[in-house]
Amino acid sequence: MEKIVRGYPESMRKSIELVEKTRDERLKHVMAESYPLIPLDQRIDILRKYHPDYRMEMKRPVKVGPNKGDLMPNEVADLLEAHPLVSPKDVDLSKIDYDTDILIIGSGGTGLAAALWAYYSGAKPEDILIATKLRLGDANSKMSQFGIQAADRPEDTPMTHYLDIMGAGGFVNDREMVKTMVMEAPMIIKWHEELGVMYDREPDGSMVEKIGGALCRKRLHFCKDYTGLEIMRNLMDEVQNLKIPILEFSPAVELVTDDKGQVAGAVLWNMETSEYHVVRAKSTVITTGGFGRLHIQGFATTNHYGATCDGVVLAYRVGAKLRDMDSVQYHPTGAAYPEAIVGLLCTEKLRGMGAQPVNKNGELFVNPLEPRDVEAAAIIRECYERNNGIITPTGMRGVWLDTPMIEIINGKGAIENNFPAMFRQFGRQGIDMRVDPILVFPTLHYQNGGVIINIKTETMVPGLFAAGEVTGGLHGRNRLAGNSWMELQVFGRRAGIYAAERAKKATLGKLTLDHVVKYERMLKEAGIKTDRKAPMILPDYRGEKVIAHTLRIF
Amino acid sequence: MAETKQEEKEEQKEGETVRIYIMGREYKVPAGLTIMKAMEYAGYRFIRGCGCRGGFCGACATVYRKKGDYKLRMDLACQKVVEDGMYLVQLPFTPAEKAIYNLSELQPTTNVLLEYYPEIAKCVSCNTCTKACPQDLEVMDFVQAAIRGDIEQVAKLSFDCIMCGLCAMRCPAEIVPYNVALLARRLYGRNMLPRAKHVEERIKEIEEGKFDKEIERFVKMSLEELKEEYRKREIEE
Amino acid sequence: MMRIPYYPGCAVQTTARNYAVSGIAVAKKLGIELVELPKWNCCGVFPSLATDDLMRHLAPIRNLIHVQEMNENGIVENEYRVVTFCSMCYHTLKEANMFLKADEERLEKINTFLEREKEYAGGIKEGYKGGVEVLDFLEVLRDIVGYEKIRENVKKPLKGLKVAPYYGCLVLRPREIGIDDPESPTVMEKILEALGAEVVNNPNKSQCCGSYHTVDRKEIVAKLTYDNLIYPIRNGAEVITTCCPLCTFNLDFRQKEARKIHKDLKEIPIMYYTQLMAIAFGLEREYYGVDLGLHYVDPKPLLKAKNLY
Repeated sequence: MEKIVRGYPESMRKSIELVEKTRDERLKHVMAESYPLIPLDQRIDILRKYHPDYRMEMKRPVKVGPNKGDLMPNEVADLLEAHPLVSPKDVDLSKIDYDTDILIIGSGGTGLAAALWAYYSGAKPEDILIATKLRLGDANSKMSQFGIQAADRPEDTPMTHYLDIMGAGGFVNDREMVKTMVMEAPMIIKWHEELGVMYDREPDGSMVEKIGGALCRKRLHFCKDYTGLEIMRNLMDEVQNLKIPILEFSPAVELVTDDKGQVAGAVLWNMETSEYHVVRAKSTVITTGGFGRLHIQGFATTNHYGATCDGVVLAYRVGAKLRDMDSVQYHPTGAAYPEAIVGLLCTEKLRGMGAQPVNKNGELFVNPLEPRDVEAAAIIRECYERNNGIITPTGMRGVWLDTPMIEIINGKGAIENNFPAMFRQFGRQGIDMRVDPILVFPTLHYQNGGVIINIKTETMVPGLFAAGEVTGGLHGRNRLAGNSWMELQVFGRRAGIYAAERAKKATLGKLTLDHVVKYERMLKEAGIKTDRKAPMILPDYRGEKVIAHTLRIF
Repeated sequence: MAETKQEEKEEQKEGETVRIYIMGREYKVPAGLTIMKAMEYAGYRFIRGCGCRGGFCGACATVYRKKGDYKLRMDLACQKVVEDGMYLVQLPFTPAEKAIYNLSELQPTTNVLLEYYPEIAKCVSCNTCTKACPQDLEVMDFVQAAIRGDIEQVAKLSFDCIMCGLCAMRCPAEIVPYNVALLARRLYGRNMLPRAKHVEERIKEIEEGKFDKEIERFVKMSLEELKEEYRKREIEE
Repeated sequence: MMRIPYYPGCAVQTTARNYAVSGIAVAKKLGIELVELPKWNCCGVFPSLATDDLMRHLAPIRNLIHVQEMNENGIVENEYRVVTFCSMCYHTLKEANMFLKADEERLEKINTFLEREKEYAGGIKEGYKGGVEVLDFLEVLRDIVGYEKIRENVKKPLKGLKVAPYYGCLVLRPREIGIDDPESPTVMEKILEALGAEVVNNPNKSQCCGSYHTVDRKEIVAKLTYDNLIYPIRNGAEVITTCCPLCTFNLDFRQKEARKIHKDLKEIPIMYYTQLMAIAFGLEREYYGVDLGLHYVDPKPLLKAKNLY
């Protein structure tokens, strides 16, 4: 076993010395001028060659459903070409356990905003039901570090925000959705102020805002690097103060439809007692988040335990169409060492405050602030084609992110003040980010595409709303830092308002699981023979030897 | 896990496995794994006790001792790497009362925290909460600040709290420090931090329709025009 | 300028701010800079009377350890004393100090418990060595400053102001902890005389104010408040001076309840002795502590009538 010096084995220390040697020279060119940006038309070249999304052998056209024939990552196609978990004979739909106006599936930033705004727009707390797979608030939202975008400074306008989003997304974004978000973003910030969110501010109250990858303005609001956690703590507290009913550890395993073709609720499953609950709801809102735990192409992920693409599967089964499902965001800087934290997010703010990605020889090889897909592709090229990456004792490849530069550029204490979460995370593993660089590699991060919605968050199926990471269109083919959180709030809010509005007038017919029968038929007709079932609910990380030896007795 | 005595000898020689005790039962797991991954390696599939897996949500609060040591230690399973002789159990849930309040009706007065959480006056300054905190926060200090009504200090000291529940389970005075801190932070953020005037101004401009025409133009723009506008953007320094 | 460690305590930071505002300014005028402990916690208010209840002593002992640290970190030089204004804090700190010094085993037990603190965020590094002395500000004025020096600093004698002192319990009892004779204390009288005021006798000056009964047995405090005030009023007192925030609250705010039972109780303002000192020393008005909205009976009309405001 190699000797470990301040967190790193000696073999990696040698490379760190080279990084230290080149640092002074690299400090001379900060941010925009540090390395030429790849011109817009040439972005596609580097993406085609190195971005995992462009490896066609890892995708296939899905054989069933509204998006039949569209390319999807194999892992997603596997879930869509799988058997439902319940069939009509398993569930007694005549006994309704929860009869409510608005069912919200998922309790991340989107679900909580939907619940609160349903209440603000007149729904009574007892007419809302939040069903969540793990605990209230367990979601990717809590892990978000960098921030939330809103064009609220005089130097900035909604139009520049619009341009940034369209450009990063490959210009194929849903323009109405983008317009809606950029125009409603400042109002969300004000709402957060009223809730008590402790954004970083100047002494006079104005928001401290930073720039991020592919942005042209400083537009990212943040709460140190615990932005997601801080906003979530406030939203969760509000939901609990209002006593909105919550069912924890009760994922939705199937949506329920009615004989009028509407979505009329869901079948929830208590993971601890194995009991199922039939929920009848006038409006059903899916806010189930992302799919990191599918480990697409074997990548590690930044996502939380429950990010298993459930909502996409549920919506697809009742006939909602998806878009851009084959577009997967790999965050360029996920932790690559040590083994214990591989895949975890190293926020873009690190680059926003001056850290440069550097190869094993200490050379800068890409502009630190390219859009995420370009940045990720560049790092993969550096590690695999050019073989300039660092290889860890467990065989993981990565490049350095030169974090000590942050202290030098912004002054002593900058890392502890701005990145308490990261400083702590690496500190726990014996690494001091202020003194040594950290090792990073792209990690599976975000579902760019998803269920298609309009700006009222309605899907194509009446009665079914969706918002947040589970939906597609807003970010096009690539999301910018800080726009996910704003999406959660702008569209979570709209989902709450429009779900409540519909609930006032909707009438439901007889409950049915016919769509499950139809889906099974589709699978048969497409010749799909499999044991797979979906949604996945939770990933399984048990040791292989154990899995091979298990018996299900009760 | 080793299948034969021979394999066991090999593994121990390499120094690549550690012995841990999950709720009393011994398992040999590869070194370098976090407690969470080690438990999964041993065959446990989490329902409770696992959340973000990244140190942000507090779902995986774990209590453990080391063999031969009486001291009780606490940490997060997703971040803490296993050590030889670790004797562990997880905390699936913390029963704790959260006061119900309407934040807009509250002011950050000296007594507001005492009013909603009167038990904080029972604090004996034993520092057990600080010792339990996996985020290395100065918990006792912010509870003390809460008793004095120093809301700003509570907010600042408690900011990194992930509400894992370990402090509340250990406190002899049965205080729930993280709920007290949550109320303090919300009061601070809402009432004591100055509001951003520029946000107000921008919202007014949007409501008055200042940007309506321009944004419509962008929505209706042809792809080529849009790309050109994108290329023309000036990057702020 | 002497620099002595100063322990504020919870009340004096909030509801009894006028006590500290005036006291710190007065100390400065007398050549003492009260250096606040960089870190402190609630004193724990009542020391446990059970001899095996050590946990209760953690709170006060922590503060004494902070005084040790102030010396070791060079914030003060060879000053192992700590001054406090609030009688309850004084009593609690002194009692805990004596209790642990009296039995080595007790001290060792507490220090062993505190030993793990070194590993934790902001924890103390060393146990309590037993060398800190706890002083009430009244003692400081009597024993360190001296009445003569107080007299010398008077710019505006409190001429014609009839003052009755009130001590309450905790600064006087039990004898081992009290700073003066529990039946006939004289320290506040002497200070008031040095300020030029006319001291009125208060036979109930060391009778209990009712303490925490004020929370849920207000009628007990109402009765005591009447008893404690009616005699000095009959003797001609125009203002009562106090040295403890809880006594002050009971004598001041509970006049309302007292008057409901005894209609003959006239309104009388209650002030900390340090406030009168600040006035007599001719300090700026902000140090009188009368404009902070903390008095129930406003002392300003009386002060104005005596040309003291």
